[in-house]
Amino acid sequence: MSDEEHQFESKADAGASKTFPQQAGTIRKNGYIVIKGRPCKVVEVSTSKTGKHGHAKCHFVAIDIFNGKKLEDIVPSSHNCDVPHVNRVDYQLIDISEDGFVSLLTDNGNTKDDLRLPTDESLLTQIKDGFADGKDLVVSVMSAMGEEQICALKDIGPK
Amino acid sequence: MVKRREEEWQRYYAAWPLKRPVMAKVVSDYFVRLHSHNFAWIHSLHYGVLRAHLYFRPTAPAHSTHHSAVSHLSLAVPSSATTMYQAGYHQNTAPPDMAQLQATMRSIELACSSIQMHANPAAAEATILSLNQSPQPYQACQFILENSELANARFLAAGAIRDAAIREWSFLETDYKKSLIRFCWLFIMKHAGSHEGYVQAKVASVAAQLLKRGWLDFTAADKEAIFLEVKQAVTGSQIVDVQYMGINFLESLVSEFSPSTSTAMGLPREFHEQCRTSLELDYIKEFYCWAQDAALNVSHRIIGSDSAIPEAKVCSAALRLMLQILNWDFKGKKNAVESSKRGLDVYCGDIKPESNFLGRSECILVQPGSLWRDVLISSGQVGWILNLYGALRQKFSCEGYWLDCPLAVSARKLIVQFCSITGTIFPSDGGYMQRQSLVQLLSGIIQWIEPPNAVLKAIECGRSESELLDGCRALMSMAAVSTPLVFDQLLKSLRPYGTLTLLSVLMSEVIKCLMENLSEEETWSWVARDILLDTWTALLTLDSSGHNDLLPPEGISAAANLFAIIVESELKAASASAFSDDNEYDYLHASVSAMDERLSSYALIARVASGATIPFLTTLFSERITRLHQGRGTTDPTETLEELYSLLLIAGHVLADEGQGEIPLVPKDIQAQFTDVVDADKHPVVILSGSIIRFAEQSLDPEMRTSFFSPRLMEAVIWFLARWSSTYLMPPEENKGNKSGENNNDAQVRLEHSKNALLSFFGEYNQGKLVLDIIIRISLTTLVSYPGEKDLQGLTCYQLLHGLVRRKNVISHLVSLDSWRDLANVFANERGLFSLNAAHQRSLAETLALSASGMKTSEASNQYIKSLTNHMTANLAELSCKNDLKHIAQQPDILLLVSCLLERLRGVASASEPRTQKAIYEMGFTVMNPILIFIEAYKHESVVVYLLLKFVVDWVDGQIIYLEARETAAAVDFCTRLLQLYSSHNIGKISVSLSNSLLSEADTERYKDLRALLQLLANLCSKDLVDFASESLEAYGVSISQVVFMGLHIVTPLITLELLKYPKLCHSYFSLLSHMLEIYPEVVAQLNVEAFGHIAETLDFGLHHQDGEVVDLCLRALKALASYHYKEKGMGKVGLGSHATISKDPGGKVQEGVLSRFLCSLLQLLLFEDYSTDLVSSAADALFPLILCEQNVYQNLVNELIERQTNQMFRLRLTNALQSLTNSNNLSTTLDRVNFQRFRKNLHSFLIEVRGFLRTL
Repeated sequence: MSDEEHQFESKADAGASKTFPQQAGTIRKNGYIVIKGRPCKVVEVSTSKTGKHGHAKCHFVAIDIFNGKKLEDIVPSSHNCDVPHVNRVDYQLIDISEDGFVSLLTDNGNTKDDLRLPTDESLLTQIKDGFADGKDLVVSVMSAMGEEQICALKDIGPK
Repeated sequence: MVKRREEEWQRYYAAWPLKRPVMAKVVSDYFVRLHSHNFAWIHSLHYGVLRAHLYFRPTAPAHSTHHSAVSHLSLAVPSSATTMYQAGYHQNTAPPDMAQLQATMRSIELACSSIQMHANPAAAEATILSLNQSPQPYQACQFILENSELANARFLAAGAIRDAAIREWSFLETDYKKSLIRFCWLFIMKHAGSHEGYVQAKVASVAAQLLKRGWLDFTAADKEAIFLEVKQAVTGSQIVDVQYMGINFLESLVSEFSPSTSTAMGLPREFHEQCRTSLELDYIKEFYCWAQDAALNVSHRIIGSDSAIPEAKVCSAALRLMLQILNWDFKGKKNAVESSKRGLDVYCGDIKPESNFLGRSECILVQPGSLWRDVLISSGQVGWILNLYGALRQKFSCEGYWLDCPLAVSARKLIVQFCSITGTIFPSDGGYMQRQSLVQLLSGIIQWIEPPNAVLKAIECGRSESELLDGCRALMSMAAVSTPLVFDQLLKSLRPYGTLTLLSVLMSEVIKCLMENLSEEETWSWVARDILLDTWTALLTLDSSGHNDLLPPEGISAAANLFAIIVESELKAASASAFSDDNEYDYLHASVSAMDERLSSYALIARVASGATIPFLTTLFSERITRLHQGRGTTDPTETLEELYSLLLIAGHVLADEGQGEIPLVPKDIQAQFTDVVDADKHPVVILSGSIIRFAEQSLDPEMRTSFFSPRLMEAVIWFLARWSSTYLMPPEENKGNKSGENNNDAQVRLEHSKNALLSFFGEYNQGKLVLDIIIRISLTTLVSYPGEKDLQGLTCYQLLHGLVRRKNVISHLVSLDSWRDLANVFANERGLFSLNAAHQRSLAETLALSASGMKTSEASNQYIKSLTNHMTANLAELSCKNDLKHIAQQPDILLLVSCLLERLRGVASASEPRTQKAIYEMGFTVMNPILIFIEAYKHESVVVYLLLKFVVDWVDGQIIYLEARETAAAVDFCTRLLQLYSSHNIGKISVSLSNSLLSEADTERYKDLRALLQLLANLCSKDLVDFASESLEAYGVSISQVVFMGLHIVTPLITLELLKYPKLCHSYFSLLSHMLEIYPEVVAQLNVEAFGHIAETLDFGLHHQDGEVVDLCLRALKALASYHYKEKGMGKVGLGSHATISKDPGGKVQEGVLSRFLCSLLQLLLFEDYSTDLVSSAADALFPLILCEQNVYQNLVNELIERQTNQMFRLRLTNALQSLTNSNNLSTTLDRVNFQRFRKNLHSFLIEVRGFLRTL
């Protein structure tokens, strides 16, 4: 978890970097963190000491932003952690295909057809029901460390 | 036992904020009984309440919202519960039908057994409920009480009598009421010997409650008749059980009349207060005498017999009752001076440096007033009770008596209570009689605690500790009623030494015991230590006027010895715990308050003897430092570090008081001593402070830092510096004594001299600046060189630095220091401090901005703020202009940068002061556009959105009242755009996630955002209340009220019912809304239909909210609306205009005016629903103008209500009550204070009159 292990990508391509190093002590609740190679959102931070007169450690409880699994980690608070670059883009929902893919309209007028609907029943029904009602839906797609998922939807149709 | 549980249950239930259906009480009462011999009772209690809710809730709406077909405006009247009639319960007017009564009894018994066996509990509960709810179930209940074999059934029947009688009280005949009480009394007398004691206790408490309910109606003769019988039972009877039950009844009665333990019975507080006063004046002393007689009569028999006799039960009950009566909160002839002496009365108590006197071990002063003198003092009761207990002590070896037997426990408690008797009960003889009484008590108590080492040894060998603890409590009570000198003298007549010496020796022994058994689970020594510590606190915080002069030299040396042992034990505990990872000892977290309190008590002891204790601390401190240096590199310093940590905390407490927001003075005890010190640098306080500061300074050396200054030790150093500097560093000039030597004698001159020497040593013109510089450099070190140590940095930011910039004479020096400039520079221009925790960065920014007012001129201050913030605002602006912002915004490094900058700006914004206001306004103005850009770019990153909103909230809060009209217009325009943007991003948005906790996090984030938005609106509102602008806002076409209403209109759709479940959000929403309606009703009138509809719906929702405060806010809003409308109409204007009139909506449906709708729903609420009685006054204030506005509607409603009433008697009562609601008390139709008051009174009596039968029938 130390700096040396961290793989920096070439400077020119910094914008595409998947993770960034950040001191553990500065990561707050509701921030992001990589634990066991997964991008997570921190839901709890507590600090403790290594022995009475030792240094502080941060104890993170975090939830994988894609699969919802809970992960935990303990890091000395002066050390660096990896923080994932979590990006969210809005698309208008054009279609839901039979095989579980969605068709999305990008900003520049193209369509993006490679995104699967979530497998979880309740999410699926929320999206499908909204779409079936004929509402104008905008979906937010969250991407981090090479994965993508729909994370929110919003009705922008006329009232 | 039974009674206690019941009380516990009631307390538990009182804490339950929900509206309570009657059923819950009945059923859970029942469950308590059911499991009274079962440890799982509390569990079943919850279960019972739950079941009750489950059962009762779903059925209630079914028959409470029955609407009339004729008019849309109708009052829903709940139809009667029918089960009862089927089961055959009837009114008492009918002749008793044996068969029916038998049937009722059987069905109740059956229900009891089936609940017990869990066979169809729902049906059983329904049966029991129907008994409680049925009209006049008295005959059936009495029948059950007298005839049922099943104790549970009898218990339930008693409860049913109580519930029904309280409900129907207002229309029961007086004779019938009396006969109910008499029935209960005769019942307990008749069955006094019964084995099911809980049934008797319940019946006794029912009798007590009914007696109280009728207390103000019954004539004195009625009461006399009842109490004559009680007296006979208690004092005249020779039958133990009868006496016992009589005392038991009195116990119930006294607790029912004591406000803290009384049952509400749906009556206003005045009623309870009147009952309390009446009992105190007329009866309570008599009760005491009866109990005393009863105890006296049996005591000689107890003393005379060798084994336990049944009379012991009576005696201990009588003693308990006496104790209970002495615990009564006597109001009668209380001497105001006496009562305020201890600061017991929170309103007139003088401020004390440490107000923890009534801390862990409670000590209630008994001040019954002079009327009690004959009973308590002159009659020699003290001697009697001491003799009784003395005789008991001899018997502890016998069978049937032991140290903790009920009789011994109640006797000891009573003795302890006698120790705290004080006030006008003693004649004004200079305290002679009180001293005599205390000496007498002490002569008995001393045997419990002396000799201390032998007593403690016995306890360690297995003897019960209760006698020792009661002895300690007695000492504390004595300390609470006497001055240190009197306290010390008490023992002198019995022993060659004083009480203080005894106290010191006793406590030393207890602490030694504690030290030996550090790890053991024994708690008694902790308890004893805490009580004794409170005793010292009580003695030493007596009053702030130099009481230490009164402490005899012997007492001072006793205190010094004790403190030495205390410190020794603390250090021992510290080094023993140095390697434990146990968080229990972690000072900064959970135990902080407990430990603080303990240390402040230690400090009080140390300060009395500061001549010895401060040099002692210095010695200990330098010993540890020497040890540290000697062992450097060779031995593990951890134990010494932990000892230093403790020493720093102790020294900090001894030397200085906690400021609690004010600037603390040098403690009086310390000021007053050391009169012989001439040179300031030889002053013991200066020596101790100096050695600690020199030690702290060593942390600047990197090598020393790594070897000794662990984060934890550094925390103690920073804490000490913070506490010490607020007292000693550059103290304000006015703290020093007057230097004019007139009228001063020699001793006083010397005193002044040494005091001034101490104060000026670290003053502005002496060492102060040097020390300040050291402190700042140490702070910078903790911020930079201890990466990730949040606690340490938090202490530095919040306590140390924040404390320094609060003080005017410090900041003027602060800003001129190089070290402070370094700090500001590192913060503003370097990236190093980005690694600080975000909240700490905010605090640091605030601190730095606050220090700007230390500059000589206003220009310099503004310039300082500019140079502090320029870099940050430029950074944000630059970022917001980047073309690829959309892509890079979500990169973690940019995210971190933006959040840090926003936190810092927010910190600066919250430091707004008139002097720096211009610069801070500029700062906000520069980032307005960037903020709008960021709110778009980060619309998915709720953390940043929240920061943006909070910055704006704090900035507006600090600025708005100072802004000129043009600036206000800009700010208001900006806020509106912010609201619109936020709303457009979030309305209709649904988060989807697999994880529930992430979803609930998303909810919480929205909640926080909305709260911030409401705060923003509230802050904007304040512009209309306080405004320092030179020209009026109208010139710029800005109306704050319109803006806020528009803001509310934008925000309201975002607030879902789910979100209103957060109490804080709910409160701020409703308080903003009701504030707006109260202040600007005319703006409401101009709102369009949609916006007005929103508000009306919201009010209607709030009116039925569970939280009383929300309902109250809505009622106030309603009052404002209706009053506005009525007054405007009176002047021939439109008032609320179309909103108030009946209209047709586009669909052709008739919409009633808003006021008539609210009139209807408010009446419905008042008559048929559950609410707290506290709301009645504000409901009256709303109802009155509503009735005036909509008189026709009101008349229709009233007629309908009367017509529904089938019972002729009730109909008549209702008609009369409604009549007097609007006509009595000279009520007229103007809306002024007097009329509102009259209507409030009318409504109160109206509700008491009719709610009883309206709700049940």
